[in-house]
Amino acid sequence: MEATINAHMPGLVARVVAIEGEQIAKGQTVAVINCMKNELAVISEYEGKVKQVLVKEWDEMDVGSPMIILDLGEVK
Amino acid sequence: MFRKLLIANRGEIARRIIKTCRELNIKTVAVYSDADKNAFYLREADETYNIGPANPLKSYLNIEAIINVFKKAGVDAVHPGYGFLSENYSFAEAVVSSGVTWVGPPPDVMKAIESKCYCREIASRVNVPIIPGTVTPVRSLNELNKVIDEIGIPAFLKLDKGGGGKGIEVIRDTRQIRDVWERVLRIGMVAFGSPDCYLETQVVNPRHIEIQFLSDSSGKCICLGERECSIQRRHQKIIEESPSPVVGEKERQNLYEYTRKLVVTMGYEGAGTMEFLRSEEGEFYFMEVNARLQVEHPVTEFLTGIDLVKCQLEIAAGEKLPMNQEDIILEGHAIEARVYAEDPVSFSPSPGKISRLQFPEMNSRYLRIDHAIGEGSLVSPYYDPLIAKVIAWDITRLEAIRHLEEALAAFQIDGIKTTIPLNLKILASKEYVEGDFNTSFLEELLKEGCEKN
Repeated sequence: MEATINAHMPGLVARVVAIEGEQIAKGQTVAVINCMKNELAVISEYEGKVKQVLVKEWDEMDVGSPMIILDLGEVK
Repeated sequence: MFRKLLIANRGEIARRIIKTCRELNIKTVAVYSDADKNAFYLREADETYNIGPANPLKSYLNIEAIINVFKKAGVDAVHPGYGFLSENYSFAEAVVSSGVTWVGPPPDVMKAIESKCYCREIASRVNVPIIPGTVTPVRSLNELNKVIDEIGIPAFLKLDKGGGGKGIEVIRDTRQIRDVWERVLRIGMVAFGSPDCYLETQVVNPRHIEIQFLSDSSGKCICLGERECSIQRRHQKIIEESPSPVVGEKERQNLYEYTRKLVVTMGYEGAGTMEFLRSEEGEFYFMEVNARLQVEHPVTEFLTGIDLVKCQLEIAAGEKLPMNQEDIILEGHAIEARVYAEDPVSFSPSPGKISRLQFPEMNSRYLRIDHAIGEGSLVSPYYDPLIAKVIAWDITRLEAIRHLEEALAAFQIDGIKTTIPLNLKILASKEYVEGDFNTSFLEELLKEGCEKN
């Protein structure tokens, strides 16, 4: 099972916090978006392992732009 | 006067500069990023050039891309507006060395005054009061401990070349000294390329009051009244006005005298602002100089009838200021409300498309609205959330407040959230109406709101 973490606000990617292979907890900050000079944390709604980071610093984001793919593990 | 001027900025200030250039028959060149390519204000410029992607580092802050436009367009002057590259002396130097006139203070002056310690040193040399603390950078943790023993806590450790509210840390407990020292040094190195910092005591419940001035190449300096800018949130100003409810003629003349001394000693030319803090006891302290046209300049223009952009252009063209200090008459009262594309309660940004827009009924004697928005405009997530400045004027402060309230209430903007409801709440508060406030006013007002709910 996979899940994608999408941008919740438009803007520029200010920082990518998560790294590929890292285990992410629910509620953890995985990236930061700069929207109108405000730094907004992108929070993971899931628990899982980072399979792929799709963005880098200064990429332009729209609402819903995919940012990170998580591997949620086996469905129980 | 100039033939063709490039505006190294965007949005409402680009429009504002175009307006004056048109009156002076100066052709205008606007630059824009991909995000602004459909912005309607670009049609008001004589020529437009794309300078890169939405990311401001690659467009509006990209010195090389902007300098390249000089050659293509053949401009003879550059106006930087505010923000972006306006206080960047490397840009100013690059402009000057490509044979184009910089509409701003001389680059070497810009470079010198970037150091707050240099400004504090100049101020103390000419007997302009500064917030007690160190004048030269603190060189070691040992020295910092000694200074704190002398001036006491709470105190602020500030970066000499910081900005935008970054690199300012409060020390409330002597046990914090080492941590704060190390943190400020680190931020200085990473964000500003200099670890220099200085210490200031805390001014309790201060008001932020600034003096607008103009200074020409002959050394003539004219002051254009003060602006009261205490209504702010996290160093972001929300309401500005002139005159200040707490500045009488005697205080004003003192502030003018401080300003003139600082301007002459710095060798400053052009339009600028000297920022002061006023303590609860009514003492004024010089804080810093803003080497640019400011967002809130319309307040001063309303009171004096002077076009500050026109003066900037005349000074840059080497002309002498045509007026003297005694010609400056401050008439009535002007108040500016900044409208931000933000949620008025949570302050979270609200970019998007303006689906419907209706401006209040205009009467240029009492109302001015500086903006660069229209129905269908996109408010970009990449830049500052300021979308409009609503400025009201009348003979008395209370009448000015009333005009501003009416204008803001009649403003209709759909599709994005704006801070208009917050502006109205401020204007209706008892403390604001009575002129009884300081820089913590807004924080207190927001706290009250939460407690009532």
